Amino acid sequence: MPDVPDIDCLTAVRQLWDFLDDELTDERMAMVRQHLAQCRRCLPHHDFAKLFLQAVRATREEHLMPAEAGYTG
Amino acid sequence: MTSSGEERRARDESFAREALPWMDDVYRFALSLTRDPADAEDIVQETYLRAFRSWHTFQLGSDARRWLFTICRNVFLRSRERQRFEVDTENGDAEALAAVRVHQQMVDDGTDRLLTRLDLGPAITQALAELEEPFRSAVILVDVEDQSYDAAAEVLGVPIGTVRSRLFRGRRQLQEKLMKYARDAGFAAPDEPQRVTPDA
Repeated sequence: MPDVPDIDCLTAVRQLWDFLDDELTDERMAMVRQHLAQCRRCLPHHDFAKLFLQAVRATREEHLMPAEAGYTG
Repeated sequence: MTSSGEERRARDESFAREALPWMDDVYRFALSLTRDPADAEDIVQETYLRAFRSWHTFQLGSDARRWLFTICRNVFLRSRERQRFEVDTENGDAEALAAVRVHQQMVDDGTDRLLTRLDLGPAITQALAELEEPFRSAVILVDVEDQSYDAAAEVLGVPIGTVRSRLFRGRRQLQEKLMKYARDAGFAAPDEPQRVTPDA
């Protein structure tokens, strides 16, 4: 397995949203993933941001109100 | 049946098969833009009318939902005669860091525990509705409708970097609204504040 370059905390949190959105290159995804696995300060930010995105995504069905769920135009 | 009749029937069938199943999704997107059910219905009707008229330009096999969202967005903008937003040149990195600071504030006052609550949906929906454009559209497309940055950029007609900065700022504003909601709901009761800000 190739060595993944280390990155610092600032670099990791700058790329946190992109990482959670899977919008980084494979190499950068690996760098952030490795940093999070090793950094007890950055991991809580990741976990919180992930929970936040899950909570927002979970509102999708609420945007479609029951009376309108069967809307056909 | 004539050749043109067969072509028309094939076109109608492909439109029904590819475009109509997304009507609920288009309606939900329209509703998120207009915040008014009647306006949203008008926009959905206009969207599908335009989509049908230009169906010959749709490439079968490509993403019909994304194509419909693009039309829907354009119909909405034209219906409101809105001016186009200036390209946001703000750096998304700064917004990513600001979101970390919001999290730190929430850890410090205990409001970060809010996200473990099961009944947070209505508060998030309300906060989404209060978000200003153009940030709301970016958040709705990526976070609610699960579109990629690339797809959102196409729908919104802006560069990916602009989607990114709008999305990150919209997320930070959402978090700030939720923090306020949490404080108002009495969640601000910290145990031992825990410093989690990165060193850098």
